[in-house]
Amino acid sequence: MLLHPLRLSLAALLIAAAPSAIGQATSAPAAAAPTPAASAPAMALAPAGAASAPPLAATLDGRVQDVKSDVIKLNRDLLVLEEELLFPANTQVAVFVSMDVGRMFELDSVQVKLDDKVVAAYLYTPLEVQALHRGGVQRVWLGNLKTGDHELVAYFTGKGPHDRDYKRGATVKFDKGTEAKYIELRIKDSMGKLQPEFDVKLWQ
Amino acid sequence: MREASLLRRPLTRIALAVALATGACTGAAAADAPARPNREIKDPYYGDALFHFFQDHYFTSVTTLMASQHFGRVSRHDEESEILRGGMLLSYGLTRESGQIFARLIESTSPKVRDRAWFFLAKIRYQRGYLPEAENALAQVEDQLPEGLQEERILLQANLLMAHGDFNAAAEVLNGMSLKASSSRYARYNLGVALLKLDGTPRSIARGMSILDDVGRMPAENEEFRSLRDRANVALGFTALTEGDPKTARGYLERVRLKSLQSNKALLGFGWAADSLKDPKLALVPWLELAGRDVGDSAALEARIAVPYAYTKLGAYGQALDRYNTAIAAFEQESKALRESIAALRSPKWIDTMIDANPGDEMGWFWRLGDLPDVPHAAHLSQVLAQHEFQEAFKNYRDLRFLAKNLDDWKNKLGIFDAMLATRKKAFAERLPPVQARAGDTGIELLGKRRDTVAEQVARGEQAGDGVAFADAREHDLLQRVNGLRAAVDAPGADAEVTALRDRVRLAGGLLTWQLAQKQTDRFWALQKELQRIDAELAEVKRRDAELVAAQKEEPARFDRFGQRIAALTPLLDVMIPRVAALGREQQRAVQDIAVAQLTRQQERLADYTTQARFAVAQLYDRAYATKEPERAPARP
Repeated sequence: MLLHPLRLSLAALLIAAAPSAIGQATSAPAAAAPTPAASAPAMALAPAGAASAPPLAATLDGRVQDVKSDVIKLNRDLLVLEEELLFPANTQVAVFVSMDVGRMFELDSVQVKLDDKVVAAYLYTPLEVQALHRGGVQRVWLGNLKTGDHELVAYFTGKGPHDRDYKRGATVKFDKGTEAKYIELRIKDSMGKLQPEFDVKLWQ
Repeated sequence: MREASLLRRPLTRIALAVALATGACTGAAAADAPARPNREIKDPYYGDALFHFFQDHYFTSVTTLMASQHFGRVSRHDEESEILRGGMLLSYGLTRESGQIFARLIESTSPKVRDRAWFFLAKIRYQRGYLPEAENALAQVEDQLPEGLQEERILLQANLLMAHGDFNAAAEVLNGMSLKASSSRYARYNLGVALLKLDGTPRSIARGMSILDDVGRMPAENEEFRSLRDRANVALGFTALTEGDPKTARGYLERVRLKSLQSNKALLGFGWAADSLKDPKLALVPWLELAGRDVGDSAALEARIAVPYAYTKLGAYGQALDRYNTAIAAFEQESKALRESIAALRSPKWIDTMIDANPGDEMGWFWRLGDLPDVPHAAHLSQVLAQHEFQEAFKNYRDLRFLAKNLDDWKNKLGIFDAMLATRKKAFAERLPPVQARAGDTGIELLGKRRDTVAEQVARGEQAGDGVAFADAREHDLLQRVNGLRAAVDAPGADAEVTALRDRVRLAGGLLTWQLAQKQTDRFWALQKELQRIDAELAEVKRRDAELVAAQKEEPARFDRFGQRIAALTPLLDVMIPRVAALGREQQRAVQDIAVAQLTRQQERLADYTTQARFAVAQLYDRAYATKEPERAPARP
């Protein structure tokens, strides 16, 4: 009588295939079939750091987390230093772009002129446009200006209603005082006119 | 590593939860037509943090948000900023920092913020293993969570109950969740599997199978859910097989798609079910299909010897022997390939090649491997990459590379800042003397004299009220001449010819007085304006002087302060850079070890199957020998 040679392997497969299949071996590369939920079951099955597990800080993972935390804080300090050094508040001007709804306008690019000089020209990726749609506000330019009167002109290009090429401008004259100045270029929908609207908000 | 592997999926969810918690327009809305953001942006820099957040640039988002908080320019989104920051730090696994943030936020006066803070605290405590504290925090959540987080809350509650082993209560909680929710499906799968593993009692197994059966039948609208459904059905099939119910097992395994990640396991199980039903011929159908697939997969590997096993059962010993021998040859070849792959994986080069071929923007969780590096047997690497443990370790390594680059960039920038500061100092020192000289030559004294003259003129003119004080040089000349003529014509003893001119002189004098009176108002206004202009100019000159005096004191001090800050940050960078580099090397070794361990396990499996195959071949020879033995026996004398 031939012995069943595969009993053990079947048992091993059962263990692998049933409870811990997710997150275990799969035959396709992650690139072909990413499994973003891979660890969810593991999360549920072993939720809390077991008492027998080594302290997080002692593990490689723990040390990696610590260094991430330290680098994030250091980056904050460096960003603060950079801004204070390069863009002191008394001369600082920041120009932002935001989009409210944006159904009437598909943004492609923005050009910003300050006192008749181009200071920023930005071409948007679909992901950036999506981020604007979701409520993000892009700082498109950060620079320095002397106190006094200045003029900003912004040109927006993209697709308007009926998929037509669209280019519009918005202008604002402003007085730069000794405080940092924030200027927001806003793209809005005018439902009444069924046209996009572009306006400028000067933040106080 | 285990800790990290437990975090991955929840971290992904945390990102969504953070967006929900901060009230930002999220997920589905973004993917579809544009939708109006449901939160008014009151500070543009808060919107700036969201702009990066929505592009999955979490490192930039959290660091710029922290800088904006430092400058106090997100004060109108104070608590939302903290939720966003806490959530992002939590997503990076920085539970201590995020815990501190949420612990502060539970003191908020806003019930919505309080509820979110308690929820995230519960989540953090659960992740760190403080289950009673997590339950306590979850109990503090009232009814102000947004809809998306409400789902997360139920899931967390179910997970906590499962962690206590209270699977029935967890099932009850999950029953309250819609099957449409991704997290609910995974939680149900977990619960089903946990029950199968629990105590082996028929009740637990039946309950677990019932829950998995729900998951195995659910409609699946995308590949992720179809894959989960397949996994549930494979788990059900193998459990039914273990429970000695091959017929039911076949039913479960039939639900698995033929072309999917789980199909190999399903085909293998399908064959075993047929074998258990004493139908080796039927078992051959899936096994032959499976045996033709890549031996890199353990199920396909097993099929290579399952096929001859079935032939043996059918009495086709010759075919069985051939198949066993073919399998042994294939195993040996595969073993050699595995040795080559392991040797290649022991070199760190492939990891960097893989990162270079798959560049990502930032440190984070949503990055996916695209191209495979050029290694001798790429299929082996595919198996390695599919491992969650490997992905987590690799992500950490990639993050460390990102941090190393980030720190290097800052190191360069600090050098530039230092040089810039030195240039500014030098320029300031060079420009100061000429500026001081010019300041001494601002004409402030002349301007002051001019002011006095004009002021005196205005006062005099105002007092006299005849406009004479405002007369210009020509008019003064005319006035003098008229006065001279008047004296001449009025002089006693003047001859008759001169006296005859008296009326004309009186007329000229009157005309001049009239003209001066007419021009008086305009001239008075013009002088007053001039006085104001001089005052403004004087004030400006004085302000500039004051600024210059202040600058002479403050600028060097300011330069010094910047210099001190650069000097303080430089050693921090100098410490951090080798620290990150050392961790990177350590993490790289960990990645290699995981990859090698995976292939070593495959090698061991292969060795086991080879032994089994050789044993089976020996048995077949024994059998053949035993069959021929009686035939030989009569021939003996």
